[in-house]
Amino acid sequence: MIGGAVATVGFFWYFGSPKFTDVGYRPAQPVEYSHKVHAGDLGIDCRYCHTQVERTAKAMVPPTQTCMNCHIIVKTDSPKMRPVNESWYSNQPIEWVKVHKVPDYAYFDHSAHISVGVGCETCHGNVAEMEEVMLVETLSMGWCLDCHNDPAPNLRPLSEVTNMAYVPGPEQKAFAEALIAEKNINPPINCSGCHR
Amino acid sequence: MKKDLNTIARGKDYWRSLDELADSPEFRKFVESEFPEEAGELSSGLSRRKFLSVMGASLAFAGLSSCRRPVEKIVPYVKAPAEGLPGEKLFYATAHTHGLSAQGQVVESHVGRPTKIEGSTRHDLVNGKSNTRMQASVLNLYDPDRSSEIIHDGAVSWIEAFVEKYSEIHKASLENGGQDLALIMPSFASPSLNRQLQLFRDSFPAARIAAWDPVSDENVHRGIELAAGKKMLLHTDLSKAKVILGLDSDFLHSDGEDLYNAAGYAQGRRVRSENDPMSRYYAVESAYSISASNADHRLRMKSSEIPLFTLKLAHTLNHKGRGLLLPEMPADAYFTPAQEKWISVLAEDLENNRGECLILAGRNQSPELHALVYALNELLGNSGRTVRYYDAEDTVFPDTDALKSLAADLDAGNIQTLILFDSNPAYWAPADLKMSSRMKKAGTLIHFSAYLDESSPYADWHIPAAHYLESWGDARALDGQRLIVQPLIAPLFNGSSALSFLHLLATAELKSDFELLQEGWKELLPADTFDKDWMKLLSDGVYSATAYSHHALPARQAEIKRRFAEHVAEKRDANGLEVNFRPHSSLFDGRHANNGWLQELPDPISKIAWDNPAWISAATAEKYGVENGDMVAVSLNGATVDIPVWIVPGHADGCVTLHLGFGRWFEGRIAKGTGFNVYTLRSSDKPYTDFGAGIMKLRSKHAMANTQDHGSMEGRPLIREASLEEYRNNPEFAPDMVKHPPLKSLWEEHPYDEGYQWGMVIDLNACIGCNACTIACQSENNIPVVGREMVEKGREMHWIRLDRYFSGDIDDPQVAYQPLGCQHCENAPCEQVCPVAATSHDEEGLNVMTYNRCIGTRYCANNCPYKVRRFNFYNFTKDTPETLKMAMNPEVSVRFRGVMEKCTFCTQRINNAKIQAKNEGRGLKDGDVQTACQQSCPTHAISFGNILDQKAEVTVLKGNNRNYAMLAELNIKPRNTYLAKLRNPHPALSAPKTGPAEHGKA
Repeated sequence: MIGGAVATVGFFWYFGSPKFTDVGYRPAQPVEYSHKVHAGDLGIDCRYCHTQVERTAKAMVPPTQTCMNCHIIVKTDSPKMRPVNESWYSNQPIEWVKVHKVPDYAYFDHSAHISVGVGCETCHGNVAEMEEVMLVETLSMGWCLDCHNDPAPNLRPLSEVTNMAYVPGPEQKAFAEALIAEKNINPPINCSGCHR
Repeated sequence: MKKDLNTIARGKDYWRSLDELADSPEFRKFVESEFPEEAGELSSGLSRRKFLSVMGASLAFAGLSSCRRPVEKIVPYVKAPAEGLPGEKLFYATAHTHGLSAQGQVVESHVGRPTKIEGSTRHDLVNGKSNTRMQASVLNLYDPDRSSEIIHDGAVSWIEAFVEKYSEIHKASLENGGQDLALIMPSFASPSLNRQLQLFRDSFPAARIAAWDPVSDENVHRGIELAAGKKMLLHTDLSKAKVILGLDSDFLHSDGEDLYNAAGYAQGRRVRSENDPMSRYYAVESAYSISASNADHRLRMKSSEIPLFTLKLAHTLNHKGRGLLLPEMPADAYFTPAQEKWISVLAEDLENNRGECLILAGRNQSPELHALVYALNELLGNSGRTVRYYDAEDTVFPDTDALKSLAADLDAGNIQTLILFDSNPAYWAPADLKMSSRMKKAGTLIHFSAYLDESSPYADWHIPAAHYLESWGDARALDGQRLIVQPLIAPLFNGSSALSFLHLLATAELKSDFELLQEGWKELLPADTFDKDWMKLLSDGVYSATAYSHHALPARQAEIKRRFAEHVAEKRDANGLEVNFRPHSSLFDGRHANNGWLQELPDPISKIAWDNPAWISAATAEKYGVENGDMVAVSLNGATVDIPVWIVPGHADGCVTLHLGFGRWFEGRIAKGTGFNVYTLRSSDKPYTDFGAGIMKLRSKHAMANTQDHGSMEGRPLIREASLEEYRNNPEFAPDMVKHPPLKSLWEEHPYDEGYQWGMVIDLNACIGCNACTIACQSENNIPVVGREMVEKGREMHWIRLDRYFSGDIDDPQVAYQPLGCQHCENAPCEQVCPVAATSHDEEGLNVMTYNRCIGTRYCANNCPYKVRRFNFYNFTKDTPETLKMAMNPEVSVRFRGVMEKCTFCTQRINNAKIQAKNEGRGLKDGDVQTACQQSCPTHAISFGNILDQKAEVTVLKGNNRNYAMLAELNIKPRNTYLAKLRNPHPALSAPKTGPAEHGKA
């Protein structure tokens, strides 16, 4: 009886949590765009395409024009380029499938995080190794609060924010404390921080 | 979604089907059937238990049917613009025009959609402030009932077809000088529009042009013309006035340059210590206006008696043999002893403040009275100081005579082509001109308007007009500064801008309004720096170099005396009631009838929304045996209107006030059938005050959405007021008014001594009751419009409301206003009772609302002593039309059914300011964060900021001796406090009863 209750609770505790239902979401995109090729092998910085990440709340998926900056001459005949070319020449945008999502009533601001040294990898995972973008963190409120309550392990030097290969050194704690003091890092843990 | 997002979507693209456009019953059924749990609406009798079981079943099935996460798309541009990407806000300068004045604005735009309007800080007549009409005009842009097609003889047409047809008319008119061509348009002050009108006049010298507005300052202009010899613009500077006399004048809200007046008036009323002076305001009027509700002394009398009153005042001021030519007082003129005393005290006060006083008369008073006021202001030395007269340029004044002669020409069959340029005679033309039947006599009727309104059934051609937020243009402010009107979005509904259409009428050629505007400016700005100057002009929005010149022409006393004598000797119908036609406080002349925000805004005096009852005094009601809500038939000039009555304390006896702008019958989902049309009673000779109305009580009653008693606070001393003298004798009167033992808390309280701590102070002396804060908040926070039925039940959703209290004698009460939003109590009663912790307190002192946690217990609203929490009883945004969704602010959640909401101190603005400051590596300083209500308040009554910052304005005000917290004795420690209201009565006149305000009987 009690074992049954525990089993039921445990069942929902695991299978109902976003760690099971959300993590690993890797939808098929309209374009077979590989971050591994572009961000990984070619070493293009995240901010080349996701231009607004340091300035505004939303990081911005790039317009077709950004792709065509190179692809107007590079690999124009590749079958993978076909939807991009169609978009460019017919003036219809590409409809990407959204992978990283917080609910509409929670307002997340990218620039606030980038400007204090939270790396892209911390929330989005090692995107430079992904052929297709996959959700690796739950992005649940509890997960956000874990960092907000103790940001130190997740901070890195501002120059390393887009570095997917960064590994925190042995002085992470001291470094983080210094950064927190310098930038007056005080992540909101009250509801008003995100719920507007 | 195959839309090209690089160009702003046209109106057509937002309709997915004709059904949606028409909101037909089929469409409604389709939408409603999506949510089976809503099967029981208002009156189904579905019990809660059954409802929950139905809900539970459908949820369970929903859970089993699909475990897949819904797919959401990100759709970027193909070619992105450099600015204005999602997440980024852009601000553009433009201008809002109202009659012959214009106010500079700055409009916030999200991804190409304007969402919020603010006053421009670069225009000194506005100084960053705004009023209800400016704030609500953004909603008119997205009105789904705007017409979106050119209609010709009932069928959809296109602009080229119109141009082709019009070219024939144009050619014929060029030959005959336009002798059978007529144009009706509103009055305006705009250089570019005037250029085009001049072109029209040059092409068609014989064409009849009538510029006319249903509510205008025509009497003021003609009064000044009578007094000084030519039409000039009246400009008042209330900041310099120590004594103000308002004669039927609503100068703080709808007469003249209300924003500038309100700011100047507030300067005179702003008292920071017991040693500060304060101005004194006397008002004489028939119906209670918003302005006079702030008066220190108010005399109620019929509008027709005010000229005699003024004459008596003039005689009193003339006693030292000043030599002002005045007609004799009529023999039968009678004033009560109280009125005589009033006049003598007033005269003395005005005398003692020569050059620093001001007499204003309302637009509804006759030109003769305005002329006399001109002479009196001159006599008192006010000319050039508190009042100025400007030589207008690029201005077309309203002229009723032109309209009358045009109507006569129409009747005679002389007009072949009639153009209604943004004009709606079928609705608002004076009834005696019979425009509806006369318009049929014109051969071709061209109707240029934003809506298919009451005049369009008569039209052969209807061309949709663009909103000012979609148009290029310019305007002249009242003092002559030029303002640029800049579009924020391409026309959503295929509209043509006024500038390009007038050009089309003049030349039969299509040219963009941008080109036409620049042509005009190229004549003004030097050619070699034009591009740079033009960019600066667009950025500032204001060009002050060409302000008008002003002179004080001497009053033509003999002329004034003669005309005034005739005026007071006019025979009037003494039977029946006097009728006052007034613009409504929100809808004005009816142009905003389809604006949900303005319809739902309760009138500050009567507190009635969605209706326009006839206002009468208690004595008049007793005489006719009517009570609130009774329907009566008002007959005047041969026409009758059935209208409910409303008793307004302080209304003059023997007259009735009818508000214009309601009872429209065009296909506007908000406007149609709302209220009662009183234009049918209005004549062209006496448009504002008429005589001899008959009143007959009818059997029926009309329920009205009256918010007077909503949020009732049971007679506690919520407004603390005193006279200036009492304040000087006892500076601590405000905190002293409520005695309570030392406040001790049951638990350890938060120190709140770190970081930013947000607080607000509202100065009750400065609040004039204009409601700009309410509409600004509605615009900023996506507050839904709930409709009349819900407002009747007390479910209006305004986060900040204006409570109006009467006090004193029931026939002659005083009014006090108190704006009330969430008080953000440190010991909030609401937070303690929420079972799911949906409302909590953050470290910065804000009471925070988390909508997704709320389960709708409503215990928090129950516990709130201020009754400021609003509950979404229904999903009020379920059937929001697509275009109205564009008006919403993306930075604030749109709330669903079953969720509690309330003022958040604009937490989105606080967060954005903090993030921006953090990114730039600095802290916030005072003024970086402005709440929407604070930013719009014309009198700067609301102060908001960090109370730990000793130099912040809000902190200084909280230390003021007039500062008090409402219901402080409950120890809930509200962060929102008030500065007690002061009145400044003259010691010689009986001081009105002061002290805790009580509810009036009405």
